[in-house]
Amino acid sequence: MIRTPLRPLARILPARARGDNPDAIERENLRLRLEATRARARVMAEGRLLVLGVLFFTAFSVIGARMGLMAASQPAEPQSVAATDGISSQRADIVDRRGRLLATNLVTNALYAQPPLMVDPARAARALAAIFPDENAERLLARFTQPGRKFIWIRKQLSPEQMQAVHEIGEPGLLFGPREMRLYPNGKLAAHVLGGARFGRESVSAAEVLGVAGIEKAQDDRLRDPAHADTPLRLSLDLSVQAAMRDVLSAGMGLMNAKGATAVLMDIHTGEIVSLVSLPDFDPNNRPAVPTSGDAADSPLFNRAVQGVYELGSTFKVFAIAEALDEGLVNPETVIDTSGPLTWGRFRIRDFHNYGPQMTVTEVLVKSSNIGTARVALQFGADRQRAFLDKLGLLTPTPLELVEAGGAKPLLPGNWSELSTMTIAYGHGMSVSPVHLAAAYASVLNGGLRVEPTLIARTDITPGPRVVSEATSARMRTMLRAVVTRGTASFAEVPGYAVAGKTGTADKPKPGGGYYDAKVIATFAGIFPAHDPEYAIVVTLDEPVESAGSEPRRTAGWTAVPVAAEAIRRVAPLLGLRPEIETASPFAVTAVRN
Amino acid sequence: MSYLEYNLKTVPTGLRKVMHLNWPLVLLLGAVASFGFLMLYSVAGGDIGQWAAPQMKRFGLGLAVMFTVALVPIWFWRNVSALAYLASLVLLVSVEFIGSVGMGAQRWLDLGFMRLQPSELTKITLVMILAAYYDWLDIRKTSRPVWVAIPLMLILIPTALVLRQPDLGTALLLMMGGGVMMFLAGVHWAYFATVAAAGAGMVAAVFSSRGTAWQLIKDYQFRRIDTFLDPGSDPLGAGYHISQAKIALGSGGWAGRGFMQGTQSRLNFLPEKHTDFIFTTLAEEFGFIGAMTLLGLYALILVFCIASAMNNKDRFASLVSLGVAATLFFYFSINMAMVMGLAPVVGVPLPLVSYGGSAMLVLMLAFGLVQSAHIHRPRGRR
Repeated sequence: MIRTPLRPLARILPARARGDNPDAIERENLRLRLEATRARARVMAEGRLLVLGVLFFTAFSVIGARMGLMAASQPAEPQSVAATDGISSQRADIVDRRGRLLATNLVTNALYAQPPLMVDPARAARALAAIFPDENAERLLARFTQPGRKFIWIRKQLSPEQMQAVHEIGEPGLLFGPREMRLYPNGKLAAHVLGGARFGRESVSAAEVLGVAGIEKAQDDRLRDPAHADTPLRLSLDLSVQAAMRDVLSAGMGLMNAKGATAVLMDIHTGEIVSLVSLPDFDPNNRPAVPTSGDAADSPLFNRAVQGVYELGSTFKVFAIAEALDEGLVNPETVIDTSGPLTWGRFRIRDFHNYGPQMTVTEVLVKSSNIGTARVALQFGADRQRAFLDKLGLLTPTPLELVEAGGAKPLLPGNWSELSTMTIAYGHGMSVSPVHLAAAYASVLNGGLRVEPTLIARTDITPGPRVVSEATSARMRTMLRAVVTRGTASFAEVPGYAVAGKTGTADKPKPGGGYYDAKVIATFAGIFPAHDPEYAIVVTLDEPVESAGSEPRRTAGWTAVPVAAEAIRRVAPLLGLRPEIETASPFAVTAVRN
Repeated sequence: MSYLEYNLKTVPTGLRKVMHLNWPLVLLLGAVASFGFLMLYSVAGGDIGQWAAPQMKRFGLGLAVMFTVALVPIWFWRNVSALAYLASLVLLVSVEFIGSVGMGAQRWLDLGFMRLQPSELTKITLVMILAAYYDWLDIRKTSRPVWVAIPLMLILIPTALVLRQPDLGTALLLMMGGGVMMFLAGVHWAYFATVAAAGAGMVAAVFSSRGTAWQLIKDYQFRRIDTFLDPGSDPLGAGYHISQAKIALGSGGWAGRGFMQGTQSRLNFLPEKHTDFIFTTLAEEFGFIGAMTLLGLYALILVFCIASAMNNKDRFASLVSLGVAATLFFYFSINMAMVMGLAPVVGVPLPLVSYGGSAMLVLMLAFGLVQSAHIHRPRGRR
């Protein structure tokens, strides 16, 4: 690098010659050098500034481009508070096995007030009280004018008419919050299966809908799962069968002066419950409050088919006979000693009538002999009886998809003695629910394969373990058919549908111990058609009295059986069963006896 | 050229200074602040008293401060810059002991008539001290390690103090503002390259340490980074701000929903709608056009500052003007980037628009310095 000397001789010498001060030349050169440095610094600074400018420009472009991109994007409609506070009102529909609606959601509105926005709180309070008779104008006004109140819930649900009326008040401080309301279009039909729903967490623009009972509660997670929001939950119920069942049962309950009734209709091979009725019932759209006094079992909310565990009487004889047959201890023609009363310790077992000193096993069932059944049960004893009933699922709660099912534990004797064995054989000393009974009947009579009761329509039901042999099952069907054709359930005969089944009339236990004299649980449990069974049915009446005759009759044969027969007559065509005239009746021989 | 070399006769004196103010800049500042008043009026739901009126008063006070600062010769400010820097450090330290805690961080000094945020003040005093330093420093020593270490310390001390409060946003602004000052002063490229490489290395190290035994930052900090990178992954939690802001920006579209018609911001979907997130309201109500207008106004302010700086042969004055411009730039670009989901959420207000006293006053003070530099620039003979 060539540096300019500060005191170049070439300039100093002439300057000296002129007599000038040579320091001026040095100063001038210094100044020039400084200016050159500054100029370089300036060039560099401008370069740096350019870099900064580029940085600024880039940032502007990025922000501008991003802004443009966002402006151009489809404005996502603000998902209101529903998305922001995690409250989802989503709930899948529930349909019957043929896709008919059982429960759905209806858009409705909640009413709330924001007092700071109100123009005339007094007028609004008066107008609201006029629309909603249960609101009080003074109390509303007091809430509206309470200092510091910014938000007040007024109604959780509004009908469209009420909403219109509130609109017409024209008060800007009255606001509506959208809601999804659970609606059960069929009202009381299937009330106990569906249960009901209520609002959970709620905000202005959404509220959770939570199940409170029945399948709504049991399947709450499934119903609220966003992944399944569009797939309705398909139940095994058939709405038209359910309607017919409820009609018949309701009429029968009135006719038999019963205080309650329940019926279960089950697919005998899959355990799918096609109809489940419990009376009295309620409207799930408007669930009554849980009673705080009295017997919970008398509340309409009580699901007799699932929650009600009863001693179901002679219907249990089927299990004792089936077990004895299956173990080869007896055959239908084996003669049993039925002389009575049968004394066991200080207990005596009697029959309703005296049937004579001995009967065949078939006759024991047909005539419903307690003594005969007890003697049969003694042949296998307590342990094997217990194991057999357990195989049928009668000792544990059912796996039914209702929250109530888990709490319905069968009541078993504390000490399973020989006496218990005998009483249980004819249905006393052990309580199960009608759903238990239906499933056990289905298991014994469908060919001997265990079924589990279910309310969800399924396609993937695998046959359960074998409980009795196919031969035993067939013999049982024949014997139960005889019960209908010539035994205690003769009113159950429905032409063309070959009903087979067993009656049961159990004295109701007193709360303090012992049994009532004139209060019974009358049950018919059966299957149809007997030769090729499709369905199992259980009809139970609580405290029925049939008073058409000269004296009141309470036995199942006179009460539960006619109701069951009428139910089968009504529902069999709905179930798609063709009436068949039985050919080659196996009872031709016995017909002579009648 | 230091102020001693000025041809003082060419610098306006007395009231003539008012004629020489950078009036376009004043108008631009007023325009930006007016945007703020409109938005504050709107987010308050048409209530002028809630935020807009106090903000106007502050802006008025800010204008007074700016004019006062502007009329004082720039060389006075140069002479007191070291003092101002030390004073702001003292304030920062005192905030540690007697500061009030607000929003989970200790940032405020209650002065009775106003609440002062020393970290805001530090942004300006840092710019001043660095400008004075480079004005004093022989230009040939600029890139020598010792003379680079000194400004580095000047930046890092207040940054560390601010980080302790903790206020990540302001700390970032301080670092970036100081860095730009050093860059403009002509510190060698290599230093910046080294810092950039070290930063990149650090980020890489942090990310590669994830899930290993020697993990460098906490899990929740990783989650924040995740949220920033993909706010949709947690729309109701940490990504909430961003998701909602994006919805608001998107729903504004090109022309916006119209003044007072914004729903996202009005209906309380957005947190901090009147402070850090006020840009969303603007974008929702005035759309792309409104947002670009504000961005344009900011850009014009920058252009005026830079033009003034380039015409100013005084090194201190020029560096201060550029430093103020850079500070403003980082303010609004970080704020906008944050709102648009381009940067993580750090508490940086939108300058002159967001509701808040300290930031407004300090910025106006800074523009007072720019005006002073503009009025008192050396004129005449080259």
